[in-house]
Amino acid sequence: MSANYLEELSYKTGDVIFEEGDKGTDMFILQEGKVAVFRKFADEEVLLATLDRGDFFGEMALLENLPRSATCRALMATRLAAIRRGELLMKIRRDPTFALEMLQHMSRRIRYLDEQLISLMERERVSREELARVRAASEYPDKEHAA
Amino acid sequence: MILNVQEDRLLITSDTHLGSLFCNPRPGLTHFLEYARVHKYNVCVNGDGIDVLHTSLRKMTRETAGFLPELRRITDGGDITIYYTIGNHDIVLEHYLADWGRLRLVPFLNVTSGNKRIRIEHGHLYDPFFLKHPDLQDALTRFGGLICRIHPPWYHWYKLYGVLKYRYIYRLLKRTHAEGGGFLDAGERPSYVEAAEELARRGFDAVIFGHTHNPGILPLNGGKARYMNTGSWFSQPYYVELLNGEIAFKPWLDPGPLAMASLAP
Repeated sequence: MSANYLEELSYKTGDVIFEEGDKGTDMFILQEGKVAVFRKFADEEVLLATLDRGDFFGEMALLENLPRSATCRALMATRLAAIRRGELLMKIRRDPTFALEMLQHMSRRIRYLDEQLISLMERERVSREELARVRAASEYPDKEHAA
Repeated sequence: MILNVQEDRLLITSDTHLGSLFCNPRPGLTHFLEYARVHKYNVCVNGDGIDVLHTSLRKMTRETAGFLPELRRITDGGDITIYYTIGNHDIVLEHYLADWGRLRLVPFLNVTSGNKRIRIEHGHLYDPFFLKHPDLQDALTRFGGLICRIHPPWYHWYKLYGVLKYRYIYRLLKRTHAEGGGFLDAGERPSYVEAAEELARRGFDAVIFGHTHNPGILPLNGGKARYMNTGSWFSQPYYVELLNGEIAFKPWLDPGPLAMASLAP
């Protein structure tokens, strides 16, 4: 079969597909099931995303040759197709639309991160202004300070 | 760029070749869109909706100028969305068609309907000859069009050649697709079936192509998915109906202008 170079993997509910910090060279296409993406923050796991059928993940480690940036866990019986580094070009050659979908996926992620960054900067600006007002109020208690 | 949509009621057809010198799809296509609007379906014209290769300026102008008011009338109420995937016969028209303002142009479409995922794509990217020699293919297609103008039955001879090649010669040379059979009987080239198989492994329940003008269905991924091709409007048109996750392959039997007039507004 033409698509047999993609290794198919099965996971049960709760199985860890990979963990943050793992060395990984594969990316995955979710053929069936659901996957949760977590990241550790202050000793807690923060849910970053829930992935459905047709979504793909793990491409950052594959593209950048860096350890996994998040933990992925199966939320139900899940089947994945694994793409290794050498197979990615083959996949794109046989299925060029996959590259366009990857680009759109990454573009969406950059847009989301940009929005998060702006929102964080806005919050920081507001708290800095608030702090300045509180300081001014404590140093010059007789003056009026705009809210 | 729209790539992913959720659609509970969608009709998909392809290769209407509006403007072609060798077929006259405009009345049938208008009825098809009208039928979709009245029955509250959205529509996807899956590539080669308009033909710039087998046409003359006079025919192209007449057909598009005649079709545009019909398209405006059908889409005016805003109760129908028409997706249009770009094919190889209309690749140069992308901006022109976008300017019509009535079509949502897409390179391909991933549709979620009920619990099903469907890929809709014209399919010319999987034509090995188009990929290796796009200019030569363009020139040969134009040349073929010229011959068809001199002797129209040539198109049917060409189709017969395709059937003979893939049904008999490829089978003789054992170059058939592993799960082949049904589709190769219709003269389908294995490269499209292999591409559909590749897509099915990404978790699609159905892969719908046009381009080859060979209507039919073939099982994919061990029967978990299906490849469908809606053929062309050069002969019997076919369409795929998505209805809350149910996928049906049907011939379009034009009810004619009188029956269309009796449909609800």
